[in-house]
Formats: sequence, C-alpha cells, structure tokens
Amino acid sequence: MLFAELIVKGLVYGCMYAMMAVGLTLVYGLLRILHIAHAGVFALGAYMAVTVTNATGSLAFGFVIAAAVSAVAGIAIYRLAYQPILHHSAFVPMVVSIGLFIVMQEGFRLIFGAYGIAFDDNPWYVAHVDLAGISLTYVEIAMVVMSVVLLVGFGLFAGLTRAGIGWRATVTDPQMATSFGVDPVRVRYLNFLFGSALAGIAGGLVGLLNNYVEPTMGGAVSYKALAIVVLGGLGSVRGTLIASLVLGVVESFGAIYLADIFDRDAIGFLFLIVVLMVRPQGLLGRR
Amino acid sequence: MSTLGRIDDLHISFGGVAAANGVSFSVERGELLALIGPNGAGKTTVLRMVAGILRPDRGRVFFDDHDVTALPAHARVRRGLGFTHQIVRPFYGFSTIENVMLAAGHDRTASPWRAIAGRSRTKARQKAQAFLDRFGLGAQAEQSPRTLPLGQRKRLEVARAIALEPKLLLLDEPLAGLSSVEALAVADLIRALPGQGVTIVLVEHNLSEVLRVADRLVVLDAGKVLAEGAPADVMARADVRQAYTGVL
Amino acid sequence: MSAYIASLVSVIGINLILALGLNIITGFCGQVSLGHAAFYGLGAYTAAYLAKLGAPLPLTLLAGTAMAGAIGIVVGLTSLRVRHDFLAVTTMGIGFVFLGFVRKQKWLGGELGISGIPGPGLDAVPYALLIAAFAMAVAALSLWIKLSWMGFTFDAVADDEDAARTVGVNVSTYKLTAFGIGTALAGTAGGLYVYFARIILPDTFDFVQSIAVLTMVVIGGTGSVWGVFASTIALTLLPEVSRAAADYRLLIFGAMLMLVMRFSPGGLAGLVHRRRPA
Ligand SMILES: Nc1ncnc2c1ncn2[C@@H]1O[C@H](COP(=O)(O)OP(=O)(O)OP(=O)(O)O)[C@@H](O)[C@H]1O
Ligand SMILES: [Mg+2]
Repeated sequence: MLFAELIVKGLVYGCMYAMMAVGLTLVYGLLRILHIAHAGVFALGAYMAVTVTNATGSLAFGFVIAAAVSAVAGIAIYRLAYQPILHHSAFVPMVVSIGLFIVMQEGFRLIFGAYGIAFDDNPWYVAHVDLAGISLTYVEIAMVVMSVVLLVGFGLFAGLTRAGIGWRATVTDPQMATSFGVDPVRVRYLNFLFGSALAGIAGGLVGLLNNYVEPTMGGAVSYKALAIVVLGGLGSVRGTLIASLVLGVVESFGAIYLADIFDRDAIGFLFLIVVLMVRPQGLLGRR
Repeated sequence: MSTLGRIDDLHISFGGVAAANGVSFSVERGELLALIGPNGAGKTTVLRMVAGILRPDRGRVFFDDHDVTALPAHARVRRGLGFTHQIVRPFYGFSTIENVMLAAGHDRTASPWRAIAGRSRTKARQKAQAFLDRFGLGAQAEQSPRTLPLGQRKRLEVARAIALEPKLLLLDEPLAGLSSVEALAVADLIRALPGQGVTIVLVEHNLSEVLRVADRLVVLDAGKVLAEGAPADVMARADVRQAYTGVL
Repeated sequence: MSAYIASLVSVIGINLILALGLNIITGFCGQVSLGHAAFYGLGAYTAAYLAKLGAPLPLTLLAGTAMAGAIGIVVGLTSLRVRHDFLAVTTMGIGFVFLGFVRKQKWLGGELGISGIPGPGLDAVPYALLIAAFAMAVAALSLWIKLSWMGFTFDAVADDEDAARTVGVNVSTYKLTAFGIGTALAGTAGGLYVYFARIILPDTFDFVQSIAVLTMVVIGGTGSVWGVFASTIALTLLPEVSRAAADYRLLIFGAMLMLVMRFSPGGLAGLVHRRRPA
C-alpha cells in the first residue's frame, strides 16, 4: 500500500512541478534563457492568492488575480529585463535572471515581512478524501485537476488553433516560423504570459497546500523545475511533462528510502546528475 | 612518393540515411588531392571523419603509418593532420595575429603544465607575423577578425592551420564565396603548400580552380567514390559528367 | 590591528580566494558554475573534521584543498559531457546535493554543523595576516595564469571550443584544469574559514553563498583579476558601511547584478578597459 501511496503523492507533486517547468521550457525553447526569476513569479502568485483571498474572502477571485498579476509580471520581465540584453551570450541573461530573482525575493520580504502569511480560512489543506485507501487533501486533488485542465487546454490550443501552431513552430525553429509569417515577438509575449500565469497558479496552490506563503518559497521548487527542464531535454514540452512526473515520483520514493543520506531537496538534483552521467542529453532529449 | 594518409571503407549514416557508404582512397606525400562531387555528395562528412570531428560507423583512418581512427581531433592535429572549417571559425575575441599565435605556439599549449610554465609570446608573435605576411594579412595583424572581409577570413583560417606546421591539411571549400580574383590568389597560395612540405586534400566546388591546381582528383557521389585519377582523365568520364549535370 | 580589523581582513581574504577561484573557472575558461559554495563547504567540512581529530593546520588545509579539487574535477567531467546550458543547472545541483548530504550526516553534526573546532595556533591578527598572504598568493597565481600560455588557451576555449580543437587544444584537459584549480582554491578558502570561525553550519555554504561569490566575479568583470579583486573587497565591506547596507545586502547584490549586466556586461573592468584586460 505504501508503494501505491508514494506513487500517487509523487504524481501530485509532479503535476505541480509541471506547471512550473512548462513556463521555463517555453522560455528556454524560444530565447535560450535559464529563467531563474520564474521562482519569483511563483512566489508572487502565492502572495497575490493569499492576500487577495484574505481581503475579499473569495478564493476564486484570489486565484484569478494571482494568475493575472503573474502573467503581467512575466511580460514585464521579458520586456524590461531580457529584451534589452538578448544579443549577449547566454551567460548575461542568466545572471540578470539571478539578480532579478534575488531582488523579487528580498522585495517580498520587505513588503510582506519575513515570517510568512497563512490563509485566514483554509479547511482544504487538512480535509481529505480516501481514494482506494490513499488519502488525498482537497488541495492535492485541486493541484492535479488544475494542472491537467490547464496543460491539456494549452495542448489543445497549441495543437489545434492557428495561433497555437504558429507558437509551436516558433518554439521549435524561430527563424523558420518567421519566414512563414509568424510574429516572433508576439509569441514571446504569449510565452511569458502563459508560463507566468501557470507559475502564479502553482504558487497559489502550494501556498494553500502548506497554508503558508513565505518570501523564499519559490527557490526549491524552481530549482527543481530547472532540473526537470534539463532532464526533459531543454526546450521540449513533452519531455518536460514526463520528466516532471518522473521527478515527482523519484523524489517521493527517495525521501523515504534515502532519508538518512540526503534531504528531500537534494534528491531531485542527485537524480539529475546521475541521469546526465548516463545520458548527457537528458532523459528524453536527442543529441 | 609514399602514402601519407589513407581511409579505408568509411561508413556513416544520419538517421538511417548513408552520407558515406564505403569510402576509400589515399593521399600521397607532397600531392594536392582534390575531393570533388555534387552538393550533398558527402565531401564535408568524409573530411570531418578524417579530421576526427565525426566518428565513422565503420571503417578506418590511417595517417603517417598509424591507425588514428580512435584519436580525437585535437590529437590528430598534434600528429600533423590539420583541417579548416567550411564556415570559417576564427576566435572572434582574439586579434588576427593572436589567432595565428595560438597555433604557432602549439608546443606551448600541448599540455596545461607546459602552458602554465611559460609566458613569453615573442617567438610565437614573430612566427605568426611571418605566416600572416605570407598569406597577405600582414597589415591586418592587430584587427579583429570581425572587421575582415570574407576573403581575408578565409586566408586567416588557412594561415592559422599552416602555423600548426601540419604534414597534411584538409581544406573544406576555401574558395567559396570569394570573387574570382580573390579565389585565384588563395588558390595560388594553396598550390604553393605542397612545395613547402604540406600535403593537401582540397574540397572545392570551383572546378576551374580545382583543375588548375590539383594533382589528382577523387570524385564522390552519393556517399561513394565514383572516380579517381588524373584531372583530365577523370573529367572526361561520362559518369562524372552525369553525376554533376544530374544534380545541377 | 584591532580584533575588528583582523576579522575584516580575514573575511576579505577568504572571499578573495573564493572569487578569484571562481574567476578561473567562469572568467578564464568560460565555464558557468552556480555551485562554488559547495566546494568551499567541502574544504571546510574536511578541514573541520580532521582538525577535531587533532590534525595540524597545514594538513587539514591541504586535505580540504585536495578534497574540493578532486570533487571539482569529477564535476568538471560533467562539463565535458553536457551542453553549456546544462552546466549551470548541474553545478547548481551539486550545491544542493552537497547541502542535502551534510545536513543528514550525524557524524558531520547534521543541521547544527561542527563546533568546538580548535584554534589555528595563532592569534587573530597573525592568522588574519596568514589569510591575507594566501589571498595575495592566489591573486599572483591568477595573474600568472592569465598572462601565461594557459590563460591564452583558456581564452580560446571560452571563445570557441571547436576552433580550439582545430589548433590542437585538448579542450577537455583544459576545462578540467580550470575546474581543478578553481575548486581546490575554494577548498583552501574553506579550510582557512574553519579556523577563523571555529564553528561551521551547513547554511554557510548554500546557494546564496554561491551567488554572492558569483556577484563578486561578475561585478568586477568576469575574467579580470584586478576587477574581481576590487569588487570583492568592496562588496565584502558593503555591509560594514551602514546598518541599512547590511540589512539590504542581498537586495543590493541582486540589483547590481541586473544593472551591471544591463549596462556593462564586462563589469567594472569593462568600464575601464575595452577588451580582455589583465
Ligand atoms: N549532422 C548531420 N545530420 C544529418 N544529416 C547530415 C549531417 N551532416 C551531413 N548530413 C547529410 O549527409 C549528406 C552529405 O553531406 P555533406 O555536407 O557531407 O555534403 P557535401 O558533399 O559536403 O556537400 P556540399 O558540397 O553542399 O558542402 C547530405 O545529404 C547531408 O544532408
Ligand atoms: Mg560540404
């Protein structure tokens, strides 16, 4: 029974990682930037969700605001931080991204305080249901449902609509897509809009899950999301989704069976390093 | 004449498509061998396998009486098997002369131990300047390669390779993109190399220059050697003409 | 020299060794590392563990240096195999794996680290001068490397690996050399830190520390010995200037990273010289 439970819990976390990692993959695929500041967007979403929900009493409203503010923040990051330096080598935008992430994290500390905020009314992170002997909280279920709905919605959009196909083409081969008349700048904005909204929602959900929102909460999640993006072969959405679930499960087992040797946050990276030793192109990447 | 380099039955395929399908030929000491063939024939691919940038699926590469198939590119360079890139690759962060200096000081860079032991660049600079002069780049020594027109970049690529003092040099389309006047000048520089002890394998589409400078031709088509021999004889063959006209 | 000055000198010296070491990896050889603090930690934990067993300072320092350098070369091996962008994430991962490991080791004190480390056998002032001497030696070594054929070859590897192979450079060996030297120096810094602080905590060697060292390198001018030297001293002294500067140290670091990259990607050195200064 423990076995099944570990898998299910791992998949739940995997869904959350997927919401984070897809945005990173889209940004990487298009601009070759390691978008570390995505962690800040995640925490921003969490803060928006908790403050707006507490102020208005409406969780739904809180999450809509979280998604919208995060999306706007993502677009602003692209426009103000990345766009002016895209002509430099990849090192420069990466360092800018690190700087931006630190500024955001310290900004949250100044504005919202160092000690974190809880939801005033959050019965969902304790209330749970039993599914075939495995107990899941409402928030965990919401995490799975939200990520599946949003990512499938994204998949349908990308696969079936004209704009979506242009988008996919641009992520795969920006030059080729441009010559077919897709506007690459619009695709970049769409990328940051969608990826950041997802990250913001993921942040809000993690805030609900722990009933706690703090300045540094983006760190561990987004570092792991970066590991996932690399595992998935950098720039491949399908690879990223699979790698998210794999990492969630590996971590969930590792946290039990390797508990005496490594802490939870190290396991994802340990897995990444072992995989890269064997397959330098990532789990699903091609050489 | 003795054989300096030989390839034996090289095969490689990309995604199931064979780019080289059993290529064998050899190059004699002191000759200028031209490797020609239509676009996509596999010339660059064969050259890259000889240089050690690509690993063949099957087959062997012999150089200077040794089997070098297992050696990486830089180790082949150290044994005297140099190459240039089809698309020139200068160090853009270096000045023109620094590009050549690094090659001229190749005994210094052979290992980190030797590299950290010495600082003086005077000798390498003198040697590099001499190579630049020889290739008509003496006046551009302190410029960045970015500021050089393509013709001069191509010369720099060859000068840098020559500064390594190779026994055999593989040149991939050194004349491409040059005006006919420039091409003539660069071809003359290349023609002079065998006399200076550098055997040449030249891949080139500019047939008039090839026929002017080459001692011998190897024609590649669809990953196979189609013909081999003296330029006039090879060019007279119907199947060679067919291979070119069939594609062009 | 007062005790306060001695401790400032010690901290500056240790940071100089860290930053100049990272500068050899990232600045000279062009290999990104976001996990430099892990090697600092490896040196510190090795030295602290041996010191507690009674080993003398020269031995612990040497062991810390060797341990960090050896693991550094192993990490360097991944840099040979993975794409450039992967390396940033892999080295970041090394940091988390290191921390995640020591935090769980009872014999290394777990979350509480190692305390009760014996002194260096020197008073604070002479010890600070010893650290300063090490830092000067590392600066001299950096300058020597930069001006030697090794520096020239590192430049080539950083500029274009394929072109470097064309001129017979064994790119792998040079990358491993850079990783080996840079991480070994971080280990030395860790060993020196142990006798200065007399207690080590896992969190001293976290991601933020790696980023702080990277900030010193980037602000000074990636690859410039003098630039990194100056910016390390300035950024280490920053929290001493005022209470506010201490409280907002990270905020200032982050903002500087963004602004410097935006307006002068060559760092301070890039403002002074135009191209590859010494
Ligand atoms: N890395 C690669 N991946 C996939 N296919 C490749 C690769 N390199 C070469 N090919 C294919 O192998 C064949 C031979 O290519 P190659 O570049 O060797 O030809 P070439 O004779 O040098 O042509 P050109 O005269 O145009 O330079 C071509 O069909 C090419 O598409
Ligand atoms: Mg070719």
